[in-house]
Amino acid sequence: MRTAYTISAVGHAAVLLWSVWSLSATSLPVSSTEGLPVDLVTASDFSKIAAGSKDAPKAETPKPLVEKVAEAKPVEDPTAKVVEKKEVKAAREPPPAPEAKPSESEPEKKQAETKPDPIADALAKDEAKKPEPKKADVKPPTPPKKPAPPTPKFDPKQVAALLDKRDSTRLAAAGETLNSAPSLGLSNGAAAQLSLSELEALRARLAQLWTVPAGAKDPQELVVLVRIKLNRDGKLAAPPVVLSSGTSPLFMAARDSAIRALFRGQPYDMLKPEHYEQWKDVEITFDPRDMIRG
Amino acid sequence: MPSGAPISIWDLFQHADFVVKLVMVGLLVASVAVWAIAIEKLILYSRTRRAMDSFEQAFWSGQSLEELYRTLASRPTHSMAALFVAAMREWKRSLEGQPRSFAGLQMRIEKVMDVTIQREIARLERHLLVLATVGSAGPFVGLFGTVWGIMTSFRAIAGQQSTSLAVVAPGIAEALFATAIGLVAAIPATIFYNKFVSDVNKQAQRLEGFADEFVAILSRQIDERG
Repeated sequence: MRTAYTISAVGHAAVLLWSVWSLSATSLPVSSTEGLPVDLVTASDFSKIAAGSKDAPKAETPKPLVEKVAEAKPVEDPTAKVVEKKEVKAAREPPPAPEAKPSESEPEKKQAETKPDPIADALAKDEAKKPEPKKADVKPPTPPKKPAPPTPKFDPKQVAALLDKRDSTRLAAAGETLNSAPSLGLSNGAAAQLSLSELEALRARLAQLWTVPAGAKDPQELVVLVRIKLNRDGKLAAPPVVLSSGTSPLFMAARDSAIRALFRGQPYDMLKPEHYEQWKDVEITFDPRDMIRG
Repeated sequence: MPSGAPISIWDLFQHADFVVKLVMVGLLVASVAVWAIAIEKLILYSRTRRAMDSFEQAFWSGQSLEELYRTLASRPTHSMAALFVAAMREWKRSLEGQPRSFAGLQMRIEKVMDVTIQREIARLERHLLVLATVGSAGPFVGLFGTVWGIMTSFRAIAGQQSTSLAVVAPGIAEALFATAIGLVAAIPATIFYNKFVSDVNKQAQRLEGFADEFVAILSRQIDERG
């Protein structure tokens, strides 16, 4: 038995020694390749909407409209007149009267440092004092024949006189660097680059149509997830299916508003038919936190 | 371990975890034992076979059984010779002590031969259990070492915050080495165990056949005398 063990041990030692000396693994031959520079382009770089005006000329390197160096504040309507103080919403569109100047070219030329016209300033102050605009300040219409008519007679000219004839004004668009010319884009866009994806455009249109019910404590309960199926012409193929559920009245209002927005937004012609496979069945999240601005 | 350097078997052992090292050493010892037992049994069985051949030749050569017994009883014997000596001793003792009682003699001789066969088989089968155990448990022990080693190397990955193959590869190679040793120990153990079991069966059958023949011869003698 001892001889057997000796033979076995010697044999094992020999095999181990042989394997240690000869059986060392050779490393795989790896040819070194040169590094490729890779730029990471995220999807949001393409899907963000550029800030600007819809009818502005397309610039090579678009920049957001900035008329005042301040903290960045986007502008609702770049075509409105710029004032220092506050924003005045016109009660109607400016009438095609000869005295109503088209304001497309004028306000963009001005910079925020230059004073706006004093008439608009005074008007804005008056507007702050009195809710009802004075008709004498604006333009005297044709003087009435009777100083005090006992029975008020409907006169369309008087109605025109009662209307606010001021141009709609806005605050100066603020930003870090001055740029007087708005670039091509949407007024509620946030990106500097002009690269509008189809789904983002769809989302932007729905965000304009969707009204978020005000007064919700928790905006998370207003998130509505809707699945829509679309035809090739951009119209709804079937009624939208609401995937999220909730019980609060605010959620139901938001849900109904979302469904209305989906119906009113038809046809979705921003979706190109050649990409029909991508958008024929879409899930859209109506979220007040990020869709409030599209 | 420097990356890119060839990994020798010694490196694999040296860098392994303590438990994996223990498994590797245990399996190496088991392998040594398996081969030692195999060598011993190979020698033993061939010797036994040769002894049986030479005894059968002597037994059937027409030589007087008394003479044969006298030659064999003087020294320790194994297998068939031991069977013959045990039976002859019982025969002689019965004849010398109480010459008239043949009644239980055949039964006593059969018993004595059975016991001798059992003893011989037990001698042939000794240590075969080690081969069976190593053959069946060796892969599992090696697998345990592998699992442990891979566990350790994955913990190392978690610690290094890196999933590159260079971090994982040495640990897994070490771990797989344990399974390799387990298989190296277990495969010969299983082969030798199967071979030796069949050898023992053959020799046991041969012993039993001789015992039956010898009992028949003695029974004829008893009948002639009684």
